[in-house]
Amino acid sequence: MADGIQLARAASEAALATEGVNSLGRGRYVEAATYEGSEKVSGVVVGPEELEIHIVARYPLPRPIPQIAESIRERIAPEAGGRTTTVVVDDLEVAEDESL
Amino acid sequence: MILLLAGLFVLGVYTVVYAFDLFDYRVGSLPISDLSRGLKDFVAGVEDGSLSVITVTILVLLAAIGLLWFIVELRPTAPRRVRMGSGTYVTRDVVEGEISTATEQVPDVLGSSVGVKARRSPGARVDLEARVRRGEDLGSIKSGVQSTVEGYLSEKGLPVSKLNIRLVEADPRQTKTRVQ
Repeated sequence: MADGIQLARAASEAALATEGVNSLGRGRYVEAATYEGSEKVSGVVVGPEELEIHIVARYPLPRPIPQIAESIRERIAPEAGGRTTTVVVDDLEVAEDESL
Repeated sequence: MILLLAGLFVLGVYTVVYAFDLFDYRVGSLPISDLSRGLKDFVAGVEDGSLSVITVTILVLLAAIGLLWFIVELRPTAPRRVRMGSGTYVTRDVVEGEISTATEQVPDVLGSSVGVKARRSPGARVDLEARVRRGEDLGSIKSGVQSTVEGYLSEKGLPVSKLNIRLVEADPRQTKTRVQ
């Protein structure tokens, strides 16, 4: 089980490795980030009971958003230490056409 | 807000100056004896039950406003993000963008504007205004827009709990698209 910044880092990597996630979001109204010392992980907020992951989904979506969120949750579950994982889709990013 | 804070600051400065008798300013020199006498008379009037009808009406109105204000303050604020299911949220901008894209796929729609309100329960309340040419069959366009938007959103997994569609007849020269 990871804690604090380690968990934030693991969540960030898990989210970015999930199909359909373009990048991590920054939060809409307040910055979504976890800080420890001089280190900062953007897009993940680690709380004592909750883990919040902000993502920017890749467009067109390879599968419905709830499935993307579920995959992220499954990936991070072993590290989350029983925290409730919330996935927030901050934005959609149109993917570049790789065939061009 | 800045004016209010500036006013409070000035009031605080005056209070300190008068409270400590600084620069020859004294509380006793203030014309507050009339004010305190007026307050005493008012309280005596309340105790005796000899207030005028206007005063009683104003007091009742103030109490009612205070009660309403209290009730409004107790109401929880509207959520900022649209709840999709357990632990998944999406910003209103994303839902707005997707609905706009879906609406403008309908051939008769020349433009649209979307308003999304998040709710505590899953799904968003959507107010959609679609602009169409004059003289079109509004009924069939409306059902077309509804089925297209609902199909598109369910494909993406975006839940909508209420979809209000309003069709507006518009001049194609003033819309985003002239021809579809």
